[in-house]
Amino acid sequence: MTATVPVQYVRTQLINHARLFFTDVAVKILQSDAVKFLPYADAAAVRAPAIVIPTDIPIPPSPQSRWRVPFNGTELTLWNPVPRPSGDTWSAVSSGSAPAWYQHNSGTLMPAWNLFGNLFDLLTFGEEFRSNQRDRHGRFDWRFSPRLSPGLLTVPAVNEAVALLADASVSLSRSKPPSFILDCLSGPPVVVLSHDCDLLTGNDFITQAVRLYRTFQPLTRFRLPRPGNLWWIVRNAVTPRRYYFDNVTGMLDIERCFRFTSTLYLLNGAKGRFGARSPLAETRRLAKLVPPAWEIGMHYNYNTFLDPSAFSSQLDQLKQIVPNRIISGRAHYLHFDPFRSFSFLQQYGICTDESSGWPDYVGFRNGIAGCFQAYDLKQNTPLDIWEVPLTIVENALANQHGAESLPVVENLLRHLRSIGGALTILFHPGRFHNPESPRTLFLYHEILKAGRRVEATSLTARQLVDRIRDLS
Amino acid sequence: MLIDLVHPSDHAACNEFHNRIHHDRRSMTQWRWEFVDNTHLQIPIPFVCAKDGDRVVGTQAFIPIRMIDRDGVYWTAKSEETLVDPEYRGQQVFEKMYDLLFRYAEDHQFAFIWGFTPAVKAFTRLQFATPGVTHQLFLPFSPRSAAPMIRKLSSGQTEKGGRLRAAAMRTAIAAARVLSSVKITLGRRRLPDGLIIRTMDEPDDQAGLLCECFVKQWGGNTIYRDSRYLRWRLLENPYVRSIVRAIYEGDRLLGWVAFTLGDDGVGYLVDLLVSCDPSRWNPGILVKSLLVDAVFSTKNMGATGLRGWSVNQHPFDRLVRSEARKIGFYHIRRGHSVVLYICSAGRNRSSSANFDEWFVSRIYTEGVLS
Repeated sequence: MTATVPVQYVRTQLINHARLFFTDVAVKILQSDAVKFLPYADAAAVRAPAIVIPTDIPIPPSPQSRWRVPFNGTELTLWNPVPRPSGDTWSAVSSGSAPAWYQHNSGTLMPAWNLFGNLFDLLTFGEEFRSNQRDRHGRFDWRFSPRLSPGLLTVPAVNEAVALLADASVSLSRSKPPSFILDCLSGPPVVVLSHDCDLLTGNDFITQAVRLYRTFQPLTRFRLPRPGNLWWIVRNAVTPRRYYFDNVTGMLDIERCFRFTSTLYLLNGAKGRFGARSPLAETRRLAKLVPPAWEIGMHYNYNTFLDPSAFSSQLDQLKQIVPNRIISGRAHYLHFDPFRSFSFLQQYGICTDESSGWPDYVGFRNGIAGCFQAYDLKQNTPLDIWEVPLTIVENALANQHGAESLPVVENLLRHLRSIGGALTILFHPGRFHNPESPRTLFLYHEILKAGRRVEATSLTARQLVDRIRDLS
Repeated sequence: MLIDLVHPSDHAACNEFHNRIHHDRRSMTQWRWEFVDNTHLQIPIPFVCAKDGDRVVGTQAFIPIRMIDRDGVYWTAKSEETLVDPEYRGQQVFEKMYDLLFRYAEDHQFAFIWGFTPAVKAFTRLQFATPGVTHQLFLPFSPRSAAPMIRKLSSGQTEKGGRLRAAAMRTAIAAARVLSSVKITLGRRRLPDGLIIRTMDEPDDQAGLLCECFVKQWGGNTIYRDSRYLRWRLLENPYVRSIVRAIYEGDRLLGWVAFTLGDDGVGYLVDLLVSCDPSRWNPGILVKSLLVDAVFSTKNMGATGLRGWSVNQHPFDRLVRSEARKIGFYHIRRGHSVVLYICSAGRNRSSSANFDEWFVSRIYTEGVLS
């Protein structure tokens, strides 16, 4: 019986994803018996027009044989091939040179890649489960991921799998082979915007001390000091909110102009280098400015990591400022453990989390541009808390891609327009419009314009999850 | 060649014609918003299409807009989408399209046809008057605002002349920015007690009444910005929505400022309207408060500057211009010509003859910023 729980879990996540981005007709077909999850031997024995997905092919420690398939104006990336069932009655089906499906003469379709294994592994943080490597904050760094070297960290594998599956199942319902053209997307891509409001004033001791350090730090390498930092010390001493708190109001307004909304994750509680640096009064003031259509969430303070007392203390304080609005959150510094944090957060009423991402790398930690239900690998059971993984952090984008930042975002959006999905973007207020951070200057506006060019719609993480619940 | 009011089956072709000629990417949603889903909602829409066989070779349209003067609310038309395929120029296509629209204007009791264009000749041939030019109010926040300003103002310059002008403008903007910063800092005052400025996320039902009070207080005429109009033009604009910040005394609406961020990174002052009892509030202070709010809001949005219009000698236009200059705006006398045609329904209106009686802001544009 337990063996079917992962199968049921993956099936549910696929259907939930399809509910968000595909037409009702496609969802119904995916829910029907036309899609079967079976052990490989049983799958290879099916002789009927159906899609059979093998569920017992093990995942190798490192991805094997990456290949690309042209699909609906974009290219999909598949890895971990499934052996073609024996006999010459199975033929490869592809839109390019490498197969996406194997098809039996009777019409049975089998994915040519380990669809079930890959997806279950990605959604349950399998590669992190198998590895002991962690950074100094106890996080699984992108550098530790076996998907890094084959270039798979930027592949929204779940979205691509559902797109292929939807096309194949709809085509099958019309007694046709997979078309590799998607005509069952329900709408344009979604952008999920959020802002971690961890720094609302620029005059706190630590921020100013960091500037002072940056001024003279080049001397340690026998280089000239950078006196420009002193200007920011003076500037924020005189106008502490400039480029921080004021930027939040600017971001809300700019989102209004594009008819987008976002989630503001508020940081309060313990102070310190990794804690809250702004006065609580600023957080309170900010909460009053947030319009009802925007979400307010909790930015779990660094010291609350798996600490019931610290967590409930922060949450209680935040609830006094914004009662009845805190059901989503993101960990400060993305200090989060996928095997313990979900059940911990669940105890405090957090239903939606946005912590699964990399603070310094643009990529899909769970291979999904959308959301999924968390899964407890030890108990082998799904949890009633949803993860909306974080794909883009502004600083990571600028550091990693420099002048190519905007084309990278635009390409991701165009890719998602072809296969369906939601791109999550975090922009810190202090990086939105701050001459002290010149690399991200004007970047947010450009990203929103790119969103408009692909006619993207905007949902917050909570709205995305609520939509699934409404549609279920 | 067939010239007629557009049939729904030709909507997409007309939009493609625009995109082809202007190398634009206007979507059908944007086209529909502008020409079909505006506040007029009459069928057929005033959009003329010239076709040679199946090929669209010319378009000319009206955006029907209600205006208000002391005699009440009436319909006018903004001339829009003037476009003739270069291969068909000299064949009177424009004139023939306008023949139809003049008839439409008479049938629908439009008082005036108006618009803004750099190409006035074609319109003067059709008996349009050119009573003014749209001047600019400009506040630079950053030297980066020079580039879009140069692009806007130096079209038609020779390369050498353009470069010199650009260099001069960059220098001027750098200097002007410093002066403006000082002025805005000195000019920033606390809002008088009893007044509050808040964002209007939904159009206020008092908007129409405010327009009535406005023309009573300031005279002349202006666009009738009732809640339906504000929703269509500012809040549901598929190009870029405006932020509307309204000033209230208690729950009573006294005015608003609408602004947005253009694709060029410049903030645009789309509209500003104030009507109040002068014995209770100084309108100048209200205007200044709204302008300051727009300045700081657009600055926080990352705008490189803020641009608005100042068009004529309407008393409120003069007040806005004066208050804007106090806080560091510059008045730049460059812009497009205004073209105006008075239809028979407009001949008897008290506000028709003198263009200085019109209060005009950027809300008079077609709502496209880029």
